[in-house]
Amino acid sequence: MNAAEAVLEPTGLRDFLRRFVRNRSAMIGAAIVVSIATAAIAAPWITPQDYQRTNMIFVWEPPGEDYVLGADQLGRDILSRLIVGARVSLIVAFSVLAIAMVVGVAVGMAAAWRGGWVDTVAMRAADITFAFPELIIAILIAAMMGPGIPTVIISLALVSWPGIARITRSLILSLRNELFVDAAIACGTRPVTILLRHCLPNIVAPLIVRASVGVGFIIMAEATLSFLGIGIQEPLPSWGGMIRDGLVALRTDPHMALFSALVLGATIVGFNLLGDGLRDLLDPRIRDR
Amino acid sequence: MVTYILRRLATLLPVLFAAVILTFVANQFVPGDPVLIMLGDQSADTAQADRLRREYGLDRPIPEQFIGYVSRLVVGDLGLSFRFPGVPVTQVIQDGLAISPFLAAGALALAVPIGLALGIFAALRRNTMADTGIIMVLVVGMSIPNFAMAALLVWLFSVQLGWLPVAGWGRASQAILPIVVLAIPAAAYVARLARTFMLEVLQQDYIRTARAKGLRERIVIWRHGLRNVLVPILTVLGVIFGGLITGTFVIETLFNIPGLGRIAIQSIFARDYPVTMGIVLLFTALYASINFVVDLLYGVIDPRIRLEARR
Repeated sequence: MNAAEAVLEPTGLRDFLRRFVRNRSAMIGAAIVVSIATAAIAAPWITPQDYQRTNMIFVWEPPGEDYVLGADQLGRDILSRLIVGARVSLIVAFSVLAIAMVVGVAVGMAAAWRGGWVDTVAMRAADITFAFPELIIAILIAAMMGPGIPTVIISLALVSWPGIARITRSLILSLRNELFVDAAIACGTRPVTILLRHCLPNIVAPLIVRASVGVGFIIMAEATLSFLGIGIQEPLPSWGGMIRDGLVALRTDPHMALFSALVLGATIVGFNLLGDGLRDLLDPRIRDR
Repeated sequence: MVTYILRRLATLLPVLFAAVILTFVANQFVPGDPVLIMLGDQSADTAQADRLRREYGLDRPIPEQFIGYVSRLVVGDLGLSFRFPGVPVTQVIQDGLAISPFLAAGALALAVPIGLALGIFAALRRNTMADTGIIMVLVVGMSIPNFAMAALLVWLFSVQLGWLPVAGWGRASQAILPIVVLAIPAAAYVARLARTFMLEVLQQDYIRTARAKGLRERIVIWRHGLRNVLVPILTVLGVIFGGLITGTFVIETLFNIPGLGRIAIQSIFARDYPVTMGIVLLFTALYASINFVVDLLYGVIDPRIRLEARR
């Protein structure tokens, strides 16, 4: 589908869904994301065993009847830990996204609306965070704060907000010259109201695209921190940590490393396919970037 | 051109300065008293503690410590290690110094040609099964984290097939898997961009002209197409290199390679923060310089960029 077609086609939710269903890779992505999310939400009810219960008789038990995907180095059920791991991973990812969105949109709006030194300071701050490889900042902050969920969320939010701020700023700048904004200013509407009530609805679609592309990165970054041991800590399961623990036994009992790697990989593939699909559908101008 | 270089250089300095401030602040805020960490069992020995505090300059006021930190950095001194009292950071990291850049460069050398070939191949067969297949492979290649990919590949090639060593460093065969694992997402990224740019280039008038004058398709693609794809690819090399450098943190830890990345991670757990910060600083400087060189090359290749920067 080319850009002209996208503009000519009628918009609206039903049309969006119709085009979405036709996009095969977006559908595959959505299927993966929905199943992982369902498992994460239903985790307390669907885990076959208590994810924390250790049993030294079943250490590195291979997949079988009692332990569908086998047991880990402490005899804990791997399937249950993968399911709870999905919950942990998604909670972290969406917390990071929520913080990064609020901060990024607020800073981007302030920079675009006020201009001047506010703009300069905000964009310099964003430039400087961009100048570092993303994960290195996260590792640095994690080293400073000590491991744990708050560390992961804060460090990843810190590297995620600048991208959102930049997009918001450029979107608001292009909206500033629109007639409806002039009209609102002429009516004496407060800037905050103009930005939130009149501008925000117009930039939601590209922000959703940005967010959906970002989720995959956040999940990957969280897993990386957990893999390195500076992310989520025991007894909470994390896919990254499970891969690390599984690698030790790769030669004799590869099931934990392999299953965890596959689940983590499939989840990120799912989010990325979904994100790419949404971008193609919602924002035909910036494709394949 | 000189103005262009100076302008680029001017954007480089704030980044390096920010890195210096960030690492200094991080060093101040890390948990635990470094002197007590160094003393370990003898933490009751106050005379010893005072001596160490003096040696590390920790008894000076913070602004003075900062000036000392910056002035030592200028001459390439990264300070003293906490884990090995009295040993300079530069000595702790010197053995790993060449390893991480070697891995990153090796991965880059592998990723760029493969990525270009895949991307151009897909672009030339747009909307065929081969194209769709390649796109799917690229999404998977970019999505799977390097340590998950490593787990799968080590299990397949080292454990099941026994072709390659599981981990370690020293023999050439031990470098293959780490470099391949690092290269996969980079190659996928290059391929994806190459496909997009090639599709754009193929629409251009000069390609139609080249075809119209009867050039063979091979020459049209390789001489007229590829060259114009290379320019935009060049601009993202810095970003790719940044990803590869960060990748070495994970890959070196996983494959037990004594490079800077593994030293940095080990130092976090040993609370040897000067070493971690030193490595972060080195990587940031390397990343910034690579981006600087890329910008320069871009200016050399494409005069429009130079002229735009002048305005």
